[in-house]
Amino acid sequence: MYGRKACQLVKELATGEKEQLTPFNSDQLDQVIAECSQHYSELQALIRNMQEKGLDVQTTKNEDHFGALVHHLSLVRNKRCLMSYLYKRAEILRNLIWKVGTMLPQEIQEKLSHFEEEYFKKHSASLKSYMSRIDLDLAVDMVPPKDPYIQVRVLDDIGEGIVLSDDKTANFTCHSMHFLKRTDAEQFISRGLMEELTG
Amino acid sequence: MANYYDIDDILAEEELVSVVFQKAVNGVGIDPSSETDSVEPGSKVELPFWLAHELHLRQIATMKLPPCFNQKTRLELGADAACVDLRSRCPYFYEFGCKIAPLVGDRDMGSFLLSAFKNRYQEVLAKAHTAAFAAASKSLTVLTKEETNLYEAAQSSMAAFKKWRIGGPRFQKAAVLGRKRKPTE
Repeated sequence: MYGRKACQLVKELATGEKEQLTPFNSDQLDQVIAECSQHYSELQALIRNMQEKGLDVQTTKNEDHFGALVHHLSLVRNKRCLMSYLYKRAEILRNLIWKVGTMLPQEIQEKLSHFEEEYFKKHSASLKSYMSRIDLDLAVDMVPPKDPYIQVRVLDDIGEGIVLSDDKTANFTCHSMHFLKRTDAEQFISRGLMEELTG
Repeated sequence: MANYYDIDDILAEEELVSVVFQKAVNGVGIDPSSETDSVEPGSKVELPFWLAHELHLRQIATMKLPPCFNQKTRLELGADAACVDLRSRCPYFYEFGCKIAPLVGDRDMGSFLLSAFKNRYQEVLAKAHTAAFAAASKSLTVLTKEETNLYEAAQSSMAAFKKWRIGGPRFQKAAVLGRKRKPTE
C-alpha cells in the first residue's frame, strides 16, 4: 500500500543494467492497479462519510478530508511510478531500433509485453516509411568510412542465399570470411552474427 | 515537469522521513503503531518523502530532519569527505538534501552539500580517469547514485578515448544484446 509496490517496479528499472530490458512484470503491474482501486474505494467511503455528516465536502478540513487526501496522493504517486515504468521501457525500445535494426532477436522479444511489441512494430514501420520518403537510410554509421568494403568473418550460421544490396546471393556459413559492402555487413555485425576483421 | 518520468527523482522521493502529525487523520492505515485506521495528533510516523512533503505543506504534519543529515554526518564530511559511506546512509544524498532544505528550515544545508560534493568529486574524477577496473571497486561502494553516474560517464569516455587512439574495429555487437546463450537443441 501507499506506493511501495509501485516503487518496486521503478526500482527494477533502476537496478538493471543500462539499456537492458527485464521481462515485463505484468503481475506487479496488476497488483499496483488493484491497489489503486482499493485507494479509490476508500477515498469514496471517506467522502461519503463527510457527506453523511452534512459537511461541505469542498471546504471542511476534518480527519476524513485528510484521510481522503492521503489516498489521493497515493493514487497520484502510483500513477507516476507506472507511467515512468512504461515510458522508460518505450524509450529503451526506441533506442533499440537504431542499434539492432527492425528485427528484434528472440532473447529481447520474449521480455516484451504484447503492447510493447505492437509499439515496436508500428514505430519501425513509420521509421521505414520516413526513410523511404526522404530516400536516405538513416540507420547506417554516421562517420563516412575510408573504404566502402570491409572484410568480415561469420560467427553464426546465418544461412544461404541471402540477397545483398547489389543483387548477388551470398552463402554465410559459420567461420567463412567475406568481403562485403560496409552497409550490408553493418546490420549483421550489430546483431552479433559477424565480426569485422582488421589487419 | 521534466522530472516527472525521471527514475532517480522518483526513487529520491521514496526516502523515509520522520513526521509528527498535527491533526488527526481518519481512514488511513499508515501508522503501524495505532490499532485503528486513524492517526492521532502528536504521533510520530515514518513516511516516504512524497507523502510527508504534501502533508507538511498543508500543515497536517511537521517534518523532522532525517538522520542522514545530522550533526555526526556533518562532522565526518567536514573531516574527510571522500571516505564517508554516503550510500549506506542515503543513496540519493544530494537530491534528497536539496528537496528537504526549504522545508526543514536549515539554512546552511546548501553550502554543506556543496562543500561535501566538491571534496568527493575530486576523488571520483581522479579515480575514474586513472584506475583500472578492479582497483576502484572498493571505493565505489561509498558513492551516492549521482556520483556513481558521474564516475561511469567518466569511465566510458576514457574507454572511448583509448579505443579511438588505438583504432579498434568501428562496428561492434550492440551492447544491448548482452551475453549470448547457445540455443539448446
